[in-house]
Amino acid sequence: MKYSIRSARAQDCRDIERMIMELALYEKMPDQVKISHKELERDGFGPNPFYQCLVAEVPEERSSAEGHTVVGYVLYYYTYSTWSGRCIYMEDLYVMPQFRGEGIGKALMASVAKVCREQQCVRLQFSVLDWNKPSLEFYLSKGAQDLTDKEGWHLLRFDGEALESLAEEAP
Amino acid sequence: MDFTIRAATLEDCKDVARMITELAEYEKAADHVEITQKDLEQDGFSKNPFFHGIIAEVPEQHKSKDGHSKVGYSLYFYSYSSFKGRAVYMEDLYVMPEFRGKGIGKALMRKVAQLGLAAGCTQLNFSVLDWNKPSLDFYFSQGCQDVTSDLGYHYLRCEGDALEYLAQGDP
Repeated sequence: MKYSIRSARAQDCRDIERMIMELALYEKMPDQVKISHKELERDGFGPNPFYQCLVAEVPEERSSAEGHTVVGYVLYYYTYSTWSGRCIYMEDLYVMPQFRGEGIGKALMASVAKVCREQQCVRLQFSVLDWNKPSLEFYLSKGAQDLTDKEGWHLLRFDGEALESLAEEAP
Repeated sequence: MDFTIRAATLEDCKDVARMITELAEYEKAADHVEITQKDLEQDGFSKNPFFHGIIAEVPEQHKSKDGHSKVGYSLYFYSYSSFKGRAVYMEDLYVMPEFRGKGIGKALMRKVAQLGLAAGCTQLNFSVLDWNKPSLDFYFSQGCQDVTSDLGYHYLRCEGDALEYLAQGDP
């Protein structure tokens, strides 16, 4: 078998941390990564996980130049739409460059779509950078809709000092 | 006007369902609402809730012309950033029109920020339609960032047939 998809284990967090950084480099934001395998272990493998993760693994004989056999991952979590109900948000989907073109990305995404079906989630949602044409084309070809273009949705965020200030005045 | 902000309970689901429909009407999407009071009860108050809610309530003497004392709500859930870790997503923030301008919306949002920070979150994320100028102005005045405009993130979704088709793609 060329590769397999399985649920991540706590021991995979170092590989996931590595691949998160590789993805951040691709997205031109490596300085934005503030968490490490420690937070990933604490937040993904405790009694109330903040996320779920699947990894793609290749047999030993196909390992990367640096010796990695965990070569892709998808990180997702459950969300809720007050219109439609249970949903899943796919936070990251990544395959190491030397393992692309084999269908691993598609397989990871299909696996999450299957979880949607099993858990009665009616939507699979995610974000893509507007300059990331290869990814946008891939997703649109699979039937995804771009809600920013189509309906005008913008993602907004409070973090850092703005979030602290907001919380300070809470009743 | 006096008001209180408190955690939503099972008994609040009827009012939350009412206000969800009111918010959808404002967003010109009333026919999009498919979930019911029962869905909210099952999905928000079971062992592994998909969401949490907070309610804004006014005293009896200030209730709405239709007799409602539950006059606003925010519905949120925990999410995860692979770069920054724990985050909170505010799915809905709504105050009945006759109770606006009294600081209830700000109080609800501040409560979500406070709860998020207490849970170790470093981001409060949410979405707004680009034509919704009153809401956009309100949020920017509170110090948030427009991740779509500033960073170029587009919000994508797979649902219905597209999601089913995706789930069928086997590794």
